[in-house]
Amino acid sequence: MNVNKKNRTPALATWLANRLLKSSLHEELLGDLEEIYLERVSENGKLYARIKYWLDMLHMLIGFSSLNPFKTDSAMYKHYLIIAQRNLWRNKVYSLINILSLGIGMSVCLLIAAYVYFEFSHDRYHDNFENTYRVILENTNAANEKGSSPYTTYAFAEAAKAEIPEIDSFTRVYQPDESALVTNPETEKTISQNAESFLFADKNFLERFNFPLKSGTPESVQNGMYDMVITEEIAEKYFGKKNPLGKNLRIDGGNSAGNYTVTGVLKKLPLNSHLKFDFLIPISNFWNQGNGGSAKRYGGWERQWYGTYFTLGTTASPKTVSAKLDEVLLKYEGEVLSENRGIEKTTLQNLGDIHLASDKYTVPDYAANKGNLLNVQIFIIIAIFILFTAWFNYINLSTARSMHRAKEVGIRKSIGAHKKQLATQFLTESLLVNLIAAMLAFSLAFVVLPLLNTSIGIELDYGLFETPFFWLSFTTAVISGSLLSGLYPTLVLTSLGPIGALGGGKMTSLGNLSLRKGLIAFQFVASLLLIAGTFLVYKQVTFMKNQELGMDMEKVVVLKGPTIISDMPEVTDGTNMDQIRTAQAFTKAIFDSFKGELVAHSAISAVTGSRAIPGMSQSISRNDIRKMGQPASAGKYGRSFPVGPGFVETYGFKLLAGASFSEHTTKDGHVIVNEEALNSYGLGSPQDALQQKIMMGSSPKTIIGVVKNFHWQSLRDQHTPYILRSGGGINSFISVKINTSDIAGSLGHIKKEYASFYPGNPLDYFFMDDAFDRQYREDVQFGNLFLGFSILTIFIACIGLFALVSYSANLKTKEIGIRKVLGAGTGNLMLLLSKEYIVMLGIAVVISIPAIVFLGKSWLSNYAFRTELGIDTIIAPVLVLLLISIVTVSRQTYTSANSDPVKALRPD
Amino acid sequence: MKNKGLGEFEELVLLAVCILNGEGYGISVKKEVERHSGRSILLGAVHITLYRLQEKGLLQSEIGGSTEKRGGRSKRFFKITDLGLKQLKAAQAVRQKMWQLIPQLKITLS
Repeated sequence: MNVNKKNRTPALATWLANRLLKSSLHEELLGDLEEIYLERVSENGKLYARIKYWLDMLHMLIGFSSLNPFKTDSAMYKHYLIIAQRNLWRNKVYSLINILSLGIGMSVCLLIAAYVYFEFSHDRYHDNFENTYRVILENTNAANEKGSSPYTTYAFAEAAKAEIPEIDSFTRVYQPDESALVTNPETEKTISQNAESFLFADKNFLERFNFPLKSGTPESVQNGMYDMVITEEIAEKYFGKKNPLGKNLRIDGGNSAGNYTVTGVLKKLPLNSHLKFDFLIPISNFWNQGNGGSAKRYGGWERQWYGTYFTLGTTASPKTVSAKLDEVLLKYEGEVLSENRGIEKTTLQNLGDIHLASDKYTVPDYAANKGNLLNVQIFIIIAIFILFTAWFNYINLSTARSMHRAKEVGIRKSIGAHKKQLATQFLTESLLVNLIAAMLAFSLAFVVLPLLNTSIGIELDYGLFETPFFWLSFTTAVISGSLLSGLYPTLVLTSLGPIGALGGGKMTSLGNLSLRKGLIAFQFVASLLLIAGTFLVYKQVTFMKNQELGMDMEKVVVLKGPTIISDMPEVTDGTNMDQIRTAQAFTKAIFDSFKGELVAHSAISAVTGSRAIPGMSQSISRNDIRKMGQPASAGKYGRSFPVGPGFVETYGFKLLAGASFSEHTTKDGHVIVNEEALNSYGLGSPQDALQQKIMMGSSPKTIIGVVKNFHWQSLRDQHTPYILRSGGGINSFISVKINTSDIAGSLGHIKKEYASFYPGNPLDYFFMDDAFDRQYREDVQFGNLFLGFSILTIFIACIGLFALVSYSANLKTKEIGIRKVLGAGTGNLMLLLSKEYIVMLGIAVVISIPAIVFLGKSWLSNYAFRTELGIDTIIAPVLVLLLISIVTVSRQTYTSANSDPVKALRPD
Repeated sequence: MKNKGLGEFEELVLLAVCILNGEGYGISVKKEVERHSGRSILLGAVHITLYRLQEKGLLQSEIGGSTEKRGGRSKRFFKITDLGLKQLKAAQAVRQKMWQLIPQLKITLS
């Protein structure tokens, strides 16, 4: 019989059995297990067989393991289990609270562990990722300003490979910046695809990165210039169930139009990858004819557009290699380039570090969904907090309950139980509770994990739960946790003398109250920190949303620019400027009449075309800029982007001086700058700056207007000098400002005009303010998670507090009775019972203030524009916690204070 | 566990090993017992019992007979010892004797 992969026995169970069973038993026991497993697979199905396999395996482990706890004294163990079970059943509410709080705590830990594992697992599944590095370029200009970017030139990788023996191989990628239409010519099915769904890459891309192919082989799918590899989802969309291999797909518009042949289909890309794409196209295609052939124009040493990955030999040190790379840059760029780029240094960033350990580069990274190491660390701390809160709770609850079991201990002791036996008894109970809680935690985690995707938009996979290491550490954590949390109640109970325990009356002191108060204080601190965290995150998000942005995005509708323009004069040669100019003039003429039609409508106040829109880093160039007349070495960093006429009006930029671009008077060399640029380049007041000239690289520009500073992107970033260049040949986006409340009517008009001017283009539109706020999605998610965790922690801590209060109120029953008889009022008594918790809360506040200030400051330092930490970040959490604890405590204290003193004082 | 008598399950396992006559290993014993007693039994229980009986000296075993079906691993075949046979017979005799002492049964039978 052929044992194929499908019928393999459960790997983890076999692995465990291999480890834990005596090796002399392996042959027959594992053999038997496998034989019966195969039989069961064919008779009852795989699931049944797997479950039975596990059961049998565990049974044998217990039966044969040298650690068998049942072998020596099995009757006693059985007894312990029975007693433990009975105890759980007898106090249903108490057991439920105990198990629930532990279970919830553990499941939160599991979820966080899954999240942390997911974050750290990014890109670490590629073969040889340890020796694969991405090149990061840092340049320092003469004014000692630094810029950094993950982009290199096209020719760099080839030259480096030829000169540096440590480099085994290289792979380049290029992510285009223009969306395109992709059509299946057989069915004429057309879908507009984002720029990010395309990736150009070297031929060896699929050999370097382990993205598994569903069909095709990694070596052969990218041979021709028009070979294209697509993902499963795309294949499904265009070809349905049919085999897409050998079929054609046509790309219109975008950076590299043409007819492509599908040569391979990739399985769904893993979520934990910094590269995301749907269409993989050979980079040679882009190099030879991308952007209508213009990619090649600069000889391969000027345009820094490409991500470069090097795989080094196992013995090579990245430091030495990056020093050699610097020399390569110096040598070649010096020869080719006329312009001085400043001093360029490379660093090699390990493939596994891209997701979490990437800095913010001056030029935005092409890597998708960058993680945040600080957030991951904060979550680890939260997980530890929650787990310990839950365990401390268990300690508090069981110690509080232990006085009810004092009699049991007394009887056991007087009929001859040893301390050790009693300890085993209580530890067994603790283990049982922890195990049940662990199972609950697993079920909860498995139910909640998929919900996380939909409710807060965090996509995770189950990767963590497939690693044996996780199971090993989880089991260790549960067992040691239950021993640790069971230890204290056990010590308390076993140290009771039989006489004392049986002596009747209430126990006056059981266990060390101050230790338990300490535990409660810890829970208070944890709750305070989490509430403060929640408060701060929401405060910062609100601050960012309400911040004056320097532009007005309300009621601005953005249309994706057309990718097909009918009757456009063809550009046959990308280096022929005349052809390009004719085509651009044609495009502009159509756009101008489209714009004219729109503005003519009463509800529309302004229309503009641009390649960049607020909130996006696409099409923003990074320039070396200086005031004209100053030496090239005085150049400083600035950003620029081309805009068409009407941009300033559509987005409501506030002009401080000068005028905005207009159709007729504006020339190519005209620019509008922001205030920060005035400061940075020493241009004086807005009025003074008008008509002055600045140098962008080697071309002079005349300032015709100055606008107030604006936040082009999230408030994480500082104000930067921005130069708005006059331009507008390519309209990736068309923004329309609507000035009535009749949005629907205006949209209808826009749709009609768009269809008549740009037939064949699908109309994609969105509202600018929504799109801009989406930048804060990550922050909002972070806040939501924080909120959820704080609620859980507070909930768990409150249960513990409640238990402690009821315990101490119980101890003081007689005292309360006497005080009542002597005339104390309910209020006085409640204060008497609650004041110690108020004191503990006070201690917790004192401890947590420095922690809140320190952690809060370091989190806020992520944001260039941040809210004040403020006294409210401390006061609000304290008030919230105070209120919650008062509610928790007063219920019990009120009952005690109101109870009948006669009952309390009657002798038992 | 110094008690010399056989437990009920032990007796069933011993009988199964006898029936299988040298071909008895974990799974075949399990199936044999299941077949005759009509109840389902855990594989682990069979193994544990087989080993316990061996420790008591009622069974002996040897390694042999691997098949591809079990991933090339060999089986451990069990055989009854003289002591085992003696104990089985003793158990049988005790029962026999006691059966005959039941009054009603005696009447209806005769």
